[in-house]
Amino acid sequence: MGQFLQAAAYGVVQGGLLALVAVGFSLVWGVMNVINFSHGAFAVTGAYVAWLMSQRFGLDPFLAIPIVAVALFGFGYVIQRGLINLIINAPIFLTLLLTFGLNLVILNGLQLLFTSDDRTIDTSYASQSFAIGVVNVPYGRLAACFLAIVITVALALVMTRTRLGHAIGATGMDRGAARLMGIRARHIYAVTFGIAAALAGIAGTMIATVGSFNPTTTPGQLTLDAFVISVLGGLGNMYGALVGGLVLGIAESIGGLLLTGTWVNAIAMAVLIVVLVIRPSGLIGKAQYSGRVEV
Amino acid sequence: MIAPEAAPATAILEVRNLSKRFGGLWALRDVSFSVAEGQILGVIGPNGAGKSTLVNLITGLLRPTSGQVLIDGEDVTGSRPWVIAHDRVARTFQIVKPFRGLTVRENVAIGAMHGNERDLTVRDSLATADELLELVGIAKHANDAPGQLSVADARRLELAKALATRPRLLLIDEVMAGLRYAEIEAAVQLIHRVRDSGITIVAIEHVMKAIVSVSDHILVLHHGSIIASGEPRDVLSDERVIEAYLGHRYVKRRST
Amino acid sequence: MNAGPARGSVAAVLQRPHRTLVQVFVDWIRTRRPANSWPALLGLVAFAAMLGVQQLIEPGTQRLLSAVFMFVALAQAWNLIGGYTGYASFGQVAFFGLGAYTVAVLMNNYHVSFWLAMPVAILAGVLFAVLIGVPLLRLRGHYFAIATLGAAEGLREVVNNLTPITGGGLGITIPTFGDQAPTPYFGKPGFYLAFLVLAAVSVAVCALLSRSRFGYAMVAVNEDQEAAGAVGINTTLVKVVAFAVSAAIVACAGAFYAFQQIEFYPTDVFDASFTVLMVIMVMIGGSGTVAGPLAGAVGLELLSQFLRVNLGAYNQLIFGAIIVVVVVFFPQGVVNYFRDAVRTRQFSIFDNVRRYRL
Repeated sequence: MGQFLQAAAYGVVQGGLLALVAVGFSLVWGVMNVINFSHGAFAVTGAYVAWLMSQRFGLDPFLAIPIVAVALFGFGYVIQRGLINLIINAPIFLTLLLTFGLNLVILNGLQLLFTSDDRTIDTSYASQSFAIGVVNVPYGRLAACFLAIVITVALALVMTRTRLGHAIGATGMDRGAARLMGIRARHIYAVTFGIAAALAGIAGTMIATVGSFNPTTTPGQLTLDAFVISVLGGLGNMYGALVGGLVLGIAESIGGLLLTGTWVNAIAMAVLIVVLVIRPSGLIGKAQYSGRVEV
Repeated sequence: MIAPEAAPATAILEVRNLSKRFGGLWALRDVSFSVAEGQILGVIGPNGAGKSTLVNLITGLLRPTSGQVLIDGEDVTGSRPWVIAHDRVARTFQIVKPFRGLTVRENVAIGAMHGNERDLTVRDSLATADELLELVGIAKHANDAPGQLSVADARRLELAKALATRPRLLLIDEVMAGLRYAEIEAAVQLIHRVRDSGITIVAIEHVMKAIVSVSDHILVLHHGSIIASGEPRDVLSDERVIEAYLGHRYVKRRST
Repeated sequence: MNAGPARGSVAAVLQRPHRTLVQVFVDWIRTRRPANSWPALLGLVAFAAMLGVQQLIEPGTQRLLSAVFMFVALAQAWNLIGGYTGYASFGQVAFFGLGAYTVAVLMNNYHVSFWLAMPVAILAGVLFAVLIGVPLLRLRGHYFAIATLGAAEGLREVVNNLTPITGGGLGITIPTFGDQAPTPYFGKPGFYLAFLVLAAVSVAVCALLSRSRFGYAMVAVNEDQEAAGAVGINTTLVKVVAFAVSAAIVACAGAFYAFQQIEFYPTDVFDASFTVLMVIMVMIGGSGTVAGPLAGAVGLELLSQFLRVNLGAYNQLIFGAIIVVVVVFFPQGVVNYFRDAVRTRQFSIFDNVRRYRL
């Protein structure tokens, strides 16, 4: 029993982080109909920025977050404005190809700069934990998960309560009409992509704090997780991504306990396919901006 | 030739108590009629009356909530679209659906290849397509992309594609909407020519004037139900029809 | 409506054409379209030339070229479902891995000859394609892409965990020496020949299909499924068959690849980058044509080999950058760009970029 509770607790904190990775991916997919293959690479780029801050200046990763966010936002904005916007009206798979090429460039660039070694950001509190009954909760993971949830909720509020959020939403639902209303679609797309990149960077920083990362295997795994969570939660749905992340985190940790080897991955894929066939609008949430989902 | 009850033995299409509900809205409710071979049936009604839904239900694009569709007395309710097409029922789409990546000739040839004379080779299909393009009057656009056609010509292409499947029954969905007067004249003549070649026609139209001149019989749909049925002249003078189209104030004013 | 109503009579017309599935298939590929014969001639000449020069090429280069041939076959296969039919599968590597493992398991565990194992691998690919194709081909766009990606990842995990049969993550080895070998190893010249024939057959199959009525059906499904159904095309069947033919070619390539490698792991033959390469080769060459994937596969594979040899650590970086540049400047594919440019006499690349820009 204690084993299960421990696994569940681990799943929750892990799921919160995955949700933060997926939220931006889901937003970009829902609003622009772009599947960003390089999303995981953005997360790892963020992790490297925070790692550098920690190595050079001894900056705590939680304090490095604003720097990471600003850097990744700028990076994302430029990528969207300068590259993806160029072919946004092309057949949908070209954007996928473009981001795949981008992925190769970023990952190999990181590999050349930092080698493919596993890295982690050391903090004094990373290994400390407190106990609730039989369950051990590490401080670092709890803080990271808490931050992830706060940011996800904040983003959802931005999307529903602010002018910027409404502009993004309107552009996602009908770009033509939004432009007629005076919304600068190019700018809005770039801002959306920038936000997604910034969130990915923050998530990468958190992952680097509580675990390890490298430029070869981490990004692909994160992108795939973001895929699954976005589909589970409904495209462009922030709360859906949050719940989807928690579900995936818990399912993976408990599944890992019950099943040998990597069967849990096979089952995750089977669930993904079944969800797609039966309820393509998402298992948990409803897809937002669904007017643009099928093009 | 049209009888809501006890359809004649030769009825090529019969619709029995057909209903379709979208959420809380009945797009079509308890519609029954039949069409005899060789006739032109006009279906009219204001926007949102359920005309296109009717075509989509007959051709298998939608499944009815209840009711039946019979072709030659055989129940084909809920069959897939290509099965209906192979039952020799063809249709045009109100919003034209050309295959944009192909030429106008190839568009029509696809109908010939996969319709009912399926032993045609690609070469024969292209020849058939040329004949049909000649018939509908857009032969000079044979090698153009469908996107370059005018509205009227795009509708003719729809017609040629449908005819290429060698139908016995043709469902025409608003082929005249948005056309100019001269173009409507030409379309009417074309429909007559199609009928003369032995094809039964169900023509869905919003433009009342045009349909009256071609139809043997007219059905009027309003809010998903048939509100009138009969000879064109009788139907047009029917108060309920005028009310449906022009509103009941107009009817009141006229009667006083 | 009894036996033999006169042709043209109402009774004859009323009889619905009953055909077996086989008749429908035969029907699809029958074609007498007066095709340009020069592409076929050119293809034959190229094939003969590659055969002829084999003796002059060193074994190392033969190995390199057999990889090029394999990608020609893979790109053509992907083009059938992703290009012509418009269903961009991101899981075609599933069939590659399935073909590879079928051959390896049969040869290693059961000492079956390669020449028997290979057809079984193709059959396995086709069956799996039908199995997942029927539900998944109802999905569209990104959803189909992700579902197929999930299917490939899932299959890899299954192979990874069926350790007693597949060897799991420790990999599998095909016996190639002495009495242990069910079929003698082909060696570099043998595989050069095998992959050359595979590429030629794939190109020929795709060229024939694209000119046939089935080819038109695929294009119609791609353009508009409602309109395709309305003119009598069984859209479900067309999609599943295109997917299955594609799977057959990919599985066959996987079978040869497995034998060539001798020893491999699930991560090798289920590597998602195989799928991505197929997609890129087709997209960059030009989808929905026969020449496009051919040009894309030859060009990209040669380029990537060149970069690997000459740029060392930077090769993947440059490769990625080239993909980005080509996608931005030739969004419709290089072959389609030149075809349209010649037709409309507009060669400006900047006009080309402008078409899809926001």
